[in-house]
Amino acid sequence: MAGRLHSFTAVIRNFTRNVSTSKVSGSEIRHVSQASAPLILDEKFDNARNVVAAREAWVETLDANTSEVGMIALHPDVFAVCPRMDIIHENVVWQRKYKMVSKAHTKTKPEVRGGGRKPWPQKGTGRARHSSIRSPLWVGGGVTHGPRAFTTQFYMLPIVTRIHGLTSTLSVKFAQDDLKIVESLQMASDEPGYIEKLCENRQWGPSVLFVDDTDLMPRNITIATDTIQHMNLMPVYGLNVYSMLKHSTLVLTVDAVRRLEERILYHLNRPDLHKENATPFNKQN
Amino acid sequence: MASSAGTEKALSLLRRLPRISLSNLKPNPGAHKNKTRGRGIHGGKTHGAGSKGSGQRQNFMRLGYETGNNPFYLRFPCQSYYKGHHLKLSYIPLCMGKLQMLVDTNRLRTDIPVDLTQLVATGLFSVHPEEKEGGIMLEDDGMDHFQTRMNIEVQWASEAVIAAVERNGGTITTAYYDPVALGAVCKPMALFKRGVAIPKRMLPPQHLIDYYSDPKNRGYLADPDLVAEERFILAQKYGYELPDISSSPDKDMLLERKDPRQIYYGLEPGWVVNMKDKVIIKPTDPVLKEFYAS
Repeated sequence: MAGRLHSFTAVIRNFTRNVSTSKVSGSEIRHVSQASAPLILDEKFDNARNVVAAREAWVETLDANTSEVGMIALHPDVFAVCPRMDIIHENVVWQRKYKMVSKAHTKTKPEVRGGGRKPWPQKGTGRARHSSIRSPLWVGGGVTHGPRAFTTQFYMLPIVTRIHGLTSTLSVKFAQDDLKIVESLQMASDEPGYIEKLCENRQWGPSVLFVDDTDLMPRNITIATDTIQHMNLMPVYGLNVYSMLKHSTLVLTVDAVRRLEERILYHLNRPDLHKENATPFNKQN
Repeated sequence: MASSAGTEKALSLLRRLPRISLSNLKPNPGAHKNKTRGRGIHGGKTHGAGSKGSGQRQNFMRLGYETGNNPFYLRFPCQSYYKGHHLKLSYIPLCMGKLQMLVDTNRLRTDIPVDLTQLVATGLFSVHPEEKEGGIMLEDDGMDHFQTRMNIEVQWASEAVIAAVERNGGTITTAYYDPVALGAVCKPMALFKRGVAIPKRMLPPQHLIDYYSDPKNRGYLADPDLVAEERFILAQKYGYELPDISSSPDKDMLLERKDPRQIYYGLEPGWVVNMKDKVIIKPTDPVLKEFYAS
């Protein structure tokens, strides 16, 4: 069955290739200065088990005068999965909760100041019997089952849920046109105004997250985005569901896309997570 | 395999829907159950705490207490036959017939010395040091059909088994692995992943040291000259011609032995094996070197 599907996938790929107008060439990235013909960054995905067609995205630059410089093929198992909203929600909740340390604290009966003496004698006063003015029954008394400081809600979401959270969010971003691919984060100017104007012209949402493969970002973009709170730089290893949803637009470099695909596909096909080699929706077969 | 129609439809729907953000996410219905105290009708009155007693008053009895009668954990007196039970090791049986089958079906290589690592790597044996298992013992069932020349190291072997192995030109050694070393030798990758130095193998405990020092058992602590003598004696006892190892083509492999402190062939204690970068890190500090060499 796998063999037949593989050939079916191959048929679809050939079909889409013949239909597209651009010629399929090698997978080299040409520099911006040499770009005269559009460069096609085509990948041969031998492990694309799904019949979902590979996605293609424009490759842009952070140069205000240049528009698209080419196209890149995106793996469907990373950028075109059926988006699981509940898994995205689980990831966001986990990211919020696992770091949380609740400092809420209440005093119990022995901790509340006072209350050592019996307020009135046991019998004879006609009032209810009490031994302490700080019992939980009293106003101002201790709290029986209240919060006690430094309560942690640490838990680890299963790795599979986290992987699927990433793929679902990336698919959502791509489907809603909030995912932009750039060749690199090299910028002509280090003025904050330059990048703000660029994002405004291209209608890249109010908040933008720039993701690159390295954690040492180019000089100009670092200085330009330093003072802008809603434009942030992030290495690929820091990519997470919460950040992707918090920022309206996600801008990935080509290197980041490659690294991301490699890591996510590795985890999706790991032999020690054998049950999870199936994507969430092909368990029925 | 999934059909893509659902996925494509979902993704194309998203194009027309508002941007997915932190403010429009929600869990699956029924996923989140609010934790509430029992209030009213069947959650109320005693709130799951029962009636009176230490349970309701949150002053619980100690574990094992049976409200006064002689508790289970005190009913049975110390029995003499349990004395030293925590020291007695059990060994996983491997009979000669099965060993021959492993060799015949290429499940076990004989061109390299066979030790616990190789036997566990066949996938047929799981050794649990925490369950007081000592390793693998070689049993004599099927020894008449055993025809392999191999260098094998086990934790226990009877005289007949030793004879069967040596009759075919092989060598057999009995070696002791302390629990930590046993875990290391059976699961080498787990140890390497931890990024710790390969530990030293400890000597056998008092009640086992005699066994492993006896040349009759081919113990790893025995004098090799005495072992050679015993090989000759055993050949005479069982009536076979003792093959000459020094003239065989696998001479070096058959005579390869581990140091009493060594766990893996080719690796010394104190080394750190880094599988990710594919390097071995060795200690340079003289104090460390002396420690691991002792």
